[in-house]
Amino acid sequence: VSLQGIFSDVFRLEVTIAAVVFAIILVLLVVSLIRRRAGVTRRPSGRADNMPLEIGYAVALTGIAVFLVVVTANANHRESQIQEAARTAPDVARVDVTAYQWCWRFRHLDGPATADGTCTEDPSTRPVLVVPVGRPVELRLTSNDVVHAFWIPDLAVKSDVYPDHTNSLSMTFDHPGQWLGRCSEYCGTHHPTMDFYVRAVPEQQYQQYLASGGAAA
Amino acid sequence: MTTGTASRPKSPPERVRATAGAWLTTTDHKRIALLTIGTASFLFLVVGILALVIRAQLAVPDRHLVSNDMYNGLFTIHGSGMIYLVMTPIAIALGLYLVPLQVGAPNVAAPRVAMTGFWFYVVGALLIFGGFLTALGPATGGWYSYPPLADSRYTPGVGQSLWIAGVFIAVVGMMLQAGTVLWTTLLKRGRGVTMLRMPVFTWSSVATNLMVIGSFPALLAAMALLGVGRVFPQVFTDNQWNIGYQHLFWFFAHPVVYVMFFPFVGTVAEVLSTFSGRRFFGYRATVVSLLVFAGFSMSVWGHHMFSTEQSSNDYYSLTSILLLVPAGVEYFGFLATLVGGKLRFPAPMLFALAFIPQFLVGGLTGIMVATPVVDYQVTDSYFIVAHWHYTLAAGSLFGMFAAFYFWFPKATGLLLDERLGRWHFWLMVVGTNATFLPMFWLGLDGMPRRIATYLPGDGLSLPNLISSVGAAVLALGVFFWVINVVTSVRYRRRPAGDDPWGGLTLEWATSSPPAPTNFDDEHPLPPVRSFAPLLDEREREETAGENPEQHGTIGSRRS
Repeated sequence: VSLQGIFSDVFRLEVTIAAVVFAIILVLLVVSLIRRRAGVTRRPSGRADNMPLEIGYAVALTGIAVFLVVVTANANHRESQIQEAARTAPDVARVDVTAYQWCWRFRHLDGPATADGTCTEDPSTRPVLVVPVGRPVELRLTSNDVVHAFWIPDLAVKSDVYPDHTNSLSMTFDHPGQWLGRCSEYCGTHHPTMDFYVRAVPEQQYQQYLASGGAAA
Repeated sequence: MTTGTASRPKSPPERVRATAGAWLTTTDHKRIALLTIGTASFLFLVVGILALVIRAQLAVPDRHLVSNDMYNGLFTIHGSGMIYLVMTPIAIALGLYLVPLQVGAPNVAAPRVAMTGFWFYVVGALLIFGGFLTALGPATGGWYSYPPLADSRYTPGVGQSLWIAGVFIAVVGMMLQAGTVLWTTLLKRGRGVTMLRMPVFTWSSVATNLMVIGSFPALLAAMALLGVGRVFPQVFTDNQWNIGYQHLFWFFAHPVVYVMFFPFVGTVAEVLSTFSGRRFFGYRATVVSLLVFAGFSMSVWGHHMFSTEQSSNDYYSLTSILLLVPAGVEYFGFLATLVGGKLRFPAPMLFALAFIPQFLVGGLTGIMVATPVVDYQVTDSYFIVAHWHYTLAAGSLFGMFAAFYFWFPKATGLLLDERLGRWHFWLMVVGTNATFLPMFWLGLDGMPRRIATYLPGDGLSLPNLISSVGAAVLALGVFFWVINVVTSVRYRRRPAGDDPWGGLTLEWATSSPPAPTNFDDEHPLPPVRSFAPLLDEREREETAGENPEQHGTIGSRRS
């Protein structure tokens, strides 16, 4: 299971529940607007309370809340376990990710490769984070200046990046590909163009990349 | 218009009371509240125009109407202006106007303190907008102004410093007003008005003001810390202070969301029950849920920090999701009131009805963002922008307009135009949903918040265009509101009378506008036997007409 899988499972469940609740309330609202409009109804109800109904309803709501809390906590623990397992795997590939105003630097700890770039509107100069397919990758995120956030939207991966603090983000890339990464925490003038790419390549190509010092990918 | 009796102190004649000097030094809670709401309504238009510039820039990709730094200033002043200078002051001042009337008090407690609060608020607003006159422009830190970005190393310029001082002072002003209203509710109630005979709106004001007193001091501490960072920016090289600031800030900033929400829940409850012609259903459950909600609101702040990896996500997720229980109880009251009502649909009712499904979108997506594994993906994206605009714009703002149309006749003695009100309403509904619904997709498609532009290849163009067109429609709706207010006040064609709607609560028992002492010999305080005293009276008269032998029993059955 990937981080993206956990996100989409839980998100879909919650969207479904939300859609059902929204539909029920909308139907109740529209039906009462039609049936109780002044031209049709003779008198408003004099009743101001129905305690058993209200208490029963609050208990039912609490049940739903407990269900959601359990689902949520479970998903969060699964996510932590995946990250923990990846982080402590013997074959983990480690990369130090440094954010700064306004770009990214990726320093590989398995070889002498460092990727840099300039973050402008021109995609060809963006820095590229090269990672191996099929084994865990740990990204150790820190900032040189202000708070940034490392976000790969298509993979549902995000973590804030702080100065004087290291956050760790671990995952396994299942298949080769390239994805856009962005800074999602507002960080000043050039926040909109603080973009990068993540490229997952087969192991052999990754080793070549490391050996070449970050030249060939 | 005067209280010409010997038993009460005479108020000054109308010609003296109408001067600007009399307004600006007034000790009448109604005038202090109207000054605050009037100022906030004007700033609502100003800050709304900033949002239109933002939407104009984002309407098409790679557009540079304004520089990145000016864009950052615009969203900062739009967001912080709407929160600190528009919705929070209106939320508190609505209580300042209504609570003394609804609890049968002649004035607010400590009116000079409330007036001082207004002046603090004005000074704060001037300081925040003063940034536009400085060399480097207005503050650019965003409404939460995280350090180290907001310290003097990364954001030089006087604008950011003025903003910190302005927020601090405006918030002190709001605390002063909230304190006087809370004091009035607890200790200045009129004869017969027990706590459980206070209207739902007054209870919403109690919950609001408790949150103000409990949480706003944390913002003062946060702003003071940020102020230190303007002089000694090296403080924020230490992670503890950066993350510490976030905790202080959000300890204030989650409750403030409910400060900007509860008075409009109370408004919607009053409007729904008035135009349903019945008591609000589930009064006691709603009162309890408001207080529980206010209590919980102080324990959820960390859900704004899930992606920092430096907060106890399971705990904050638990408390945040539990909020659905009190929120659900309030919705039950809304719907149950309608289900048994005899409904009329003037403009305030329309806004109150639209509040129900529109705020619900904000509430249901709120559960999603209270789920850490979902929030990791959608936080700091346009999904979150859509989420809280559904709570604050599609929700609270609609509640605010419901309040405006509902109580404008009480405050001015004049009815607003219904036809213009309907144009305003329908344009707002279309505009609001067209503006904010596409933002959910923008967020899921990977658009980070607070970006000054995007590229044609990003695949974000169509939803952004729809959103910008929606903003124009929304603005047109607000324009109808302005026209409505201006023409109604100018031509004075529609006198409201004391009680144009068939109101349930005490403010409708006095004149429009109410006398300086709220109730006088011409408009004495009626007997209060429940939270809907005027309905009790009407029912008693009706019953007395039908079966004289039951006289006196119906009106008191709920006491």
